[in-house]
Amino acid sequence: MTGVVIVGGGPAAHRLAARLVQYGHPGEVTVVGAEPRPAYHRALLGSVLDGTLDADRLSLPALPAEVRQLTGVRVSAVDRARRTVRTGDGRELPYDVLVLATGARPRVPPVPGLETGPGRLAEGVRAVRTAADCRPLSEGPVVVLGGGIRGVETAWALSRTGQEVALVHPAGHLMERHLDAAGAAVPAAWLAGRGVTLHLGRRAAEYTPGKVVLDDGQVLAAGTVLLCTGTVAETASARASGLEVRGGVVVDALLRTGDPRVHAIGDCAEHAGAVGSTVLQAWEQAEALARILTGRERPYAPGRRVLRPRTPGKDMVVLPPAGPDRPGDTDGTVSLLDRAGGRHARLVLRGGRIHAGAVIGSPSAVAAVSRLYLRDEPVPADLLALLTGADGEYAGDGTLPDEAVVCHCNNVTGKALKDAWHSGAHDEAALARATRATTGCGSCTSVVRRLCTTLAGAGDDTPAEGATP
Amino acid sequence: MTTRTLVVAGHGMVGHRLVEEMLTHDRHGRWRVVVLGEEPRAAYDRVALSSLLDGATPDDLALAGPDVLGDGRLRLSPGTRVTGVDRRARTVTCDDGTETGYDALVLATGSRPFVPPVPGHDLPGCFVYRTVEDVAAIRAAAVPGREAVVVGGGLLGLEAANGLRLLGMRPRVVEMAPWLMAQQIDEGGGRVLAGAVERLGVGVHCSSALHAVGAGPDGRADRVELADGTVLDAALVVFAAGVRPRDELAAPLGLERGERGGFLVDGWCRTADEYIWAIGECAAVEGRCHGLVVPGLRMAETVARQLVGEGGQPFAGADGSAKLKLLGVEVAGFGDAHARAPGAIEYVREDRRAGTYAKVVLAADGRTLLGGVLAGDTRAYPVLRGLTGRELTASPDELLAGTTGEGPPRAR
Repeated sequence: MTGVVIVGGGPAAHRLAARLVQYGHPGEVTVVGAEPRPAYHRALLGSVLDGTLDADRLSLPALPAEVRQLTGVRVSAVDRARRTVRTGDGRELPYDVLVLATGARPRVPPVPGLETGPGRLAEGVRAVRTAADCRPLSEGPVVVLGGGIRGVETAWALSRTGQEVALVHPAGHLMERHLDAAGAAVPAAWLAGRGVTLHLGRRAAEYTPGKVVLDDGQVLAAGTVLLCTGTVAETASARASGLEVRGGVVVDALLRTGDPRVHAIGDCAEHAGAVGSTVLQAWEQAEALARILTGRERPYAPGRRVLRPRTPGKDMVVLPPAGPDRPGDTDGTVSLLDRAGGRHARLVLRGGRIHAGAVIGSPSAVAAVSRLYLRDEPVPADLLALLTGADGEYAGDGTLPDEAVVCHCNNVTGKALKDAWHSGAHDEAALARATRATTGCGSCTSVVRRLCTTLAGAGDDTPAEGATP
Repeated sequence: MTTRTLVVAGHGMVGHRLVEEMLTHDRHGRWRVVVLGEEPRAAYDRVALSSLLDGATPDDLALAGPDVLGDGRLRLSPGTRVTGVDRRARTVTCDDGTETGYDALVLATGSRPFVPPVPGHDLPGCFVYRTVEDVAAIRAAAVPGREAVVVGGGLLGLEAANGLRLLGMRPRVVEMAPWLMAQQIDEGGGRVLAGAVERLGVGVHCSSALHAVGAGPDGRADRVELADGTVLDAALVVFAAGVRPRDELAAPLGLERGERGGFLVDGWCRTADEYIWAIGECAAVEGRCHGLVVPGLRMAETVARQLVGEGGQPFAGADGSAKLKLLGVEVAGFGDAHARAPGAIEYVREDRRAGTYAKVVLAADGRTLLGGVLAGDTRAYPVLRGLTGRELTASPDELLAGTTGEGPPRAR
């Protein structure tokens, strides 16, 4: 019998416990969660905050009865030598396998006044991390600190109901980890359109209840300050027990720490140099570890994931780089910018497939591009149609229509050249004498040459309509 | 039928196109054409001026062949500048004292290089880049192995820099705009262009304003000072910072000028005086001057059609399409290259590894081509330029591949 103790009460712990039971794990499974309630769907908290979702609708399905669940219980120490976990309420839990799924806590930016003590947020300041953060907002404007995905989602959600919102972001444009300036202009316009005031390239310099002072001296009224400034992996117990910690608890392809009996998954774990940040990734790791622990041993390889920021009514997808970025190893980029239409797309291609990118503002393009990226399928030849959702039908065969000007220096149309051909000018030099085409800057020579080839190949010497014989 | 006299003031590329059009289309010999050109030689291909530093001779650039020069209807007087016009008597006076009567007068006086009025701009060692004589003077003054500065990073400035390079100098280009050829191409194209130009050994200083030209002990220009305090050694300075219309006859003639200079003319290139037209860089067509040759050629054609009684079309305006081809550097901008049209959609393909950048600007319908920028690979330029203002005939990706412009037609 192998006893598994899972530390953490979030979605990663929840999924792992459920799968262990499902896969017939023979030993006891214990989940130790610090929050007072069982695991819930953290990613939907924004919808609770803006009132579109009730807090009790966040709950994840109840775990099977076989799982022993401790809620509101903190782990105070891990004794790896004795293979026990000590809890804040004085219990000692033995384990054969320990899984750290401690998640992450909000990063509090170093702004004077935000904290009244270590980890204690000042009055009016909150993160959007736990269900407790979703209690009704105080009266007055909301200041969102941070313009990454979470900040954009939060500002978008709050502004729906007419709440006065200001967003402060130190980078020059929103979501700079995922979007270029041109792309970020689109969600910026969405937010501005709902009345959100954007303070880009600005930092909060000071907070006192009721107001935020920016680094340029501007003062923003703030009934509530929402921290959307990223997260920090919860690694205290791992660190204290001597496990390797970098950005998160370092794990290998079997999601193992340096101690083969201790694993880590979800937002607290660092795998292949990357710390997780999405619930999908946490679930993926939970699934993988459940298989590993139940003898279906298979190394964990992160799958392709798209990021779909929650901006209801507006479509956006971010495609993180699939694999490491090797400079000079891509086929280049293709991008679309439609300011008036609120559309943007940028794809980095590698080997004719999508390596990374983002698509904003076009539901059909978001769907089509996501599908190609997730399946790692080759992109079509007509990338414009892919990015605009157009039908890809074009009126012609790629050549110039007869009435188009071929030689701009001398104002010679394709029709004039064809007429000259049918009047006996059967090579470039003769066409140049007859029409002056190619005798200016010479740019059109390639087109005239192609016309010669086409007409000669057609073997067609009948006069074009309206030609002078 | 009496023969009428057309006097053309100026024999540049545009004045010459007017001459050619008149000789070709005046089938009944109703016009005699008198051309009074200030330059000491007949019209030549000014666009190809730089080829003089790459082995060409002025004769190679000459536009008028023996058939034109020998035409009995044409009298050409190079080295003759028009100094005055009597609009009532319909005569022009020249600097050699001669007087010529006209039934139609076409001003094709072109433009002069703009030299920023900074201290030292007129020192020995400072040059402009417009005429065969300017190029000869630069060639004579060039010091191989020494630095030179070209003020202006547009089409002409880059041509001049390449010319200096061919003369063995080490040129640097100083440009006020944030990137090279900013009128014709966008930032992405400018990035590719700057990289390629630098690989040729030409230094690039963008977003840089000229502060002064400094003199050495011999009183000749030996350095250029920028507004940010940078000092660049320069044994030679070439100004290629744009042009200003040659419209000094406007005041004595009592003709109106455009807001930014140039003889004010209507869409038919006619001034307020029904006997006087203006074409090319000296003309402000409905108030707007055009600094490239192709619009000037269209103006010449418009006026010729009127004079020979064919009616024709008014000048339809012209885009700023331009292509630069210097050893290994190819860039082009055409149509609405900066996507200024309301609702314009920009579609960009960039491959930094290959050093190529291509932008296609489409109308809000996503089908009509408005313009674009090509850098590093301009094979698609002729077809895309021809399609500008029209519906795409294939996907931009296919058009940009450039395969629709040359070679045998695609199998379909």
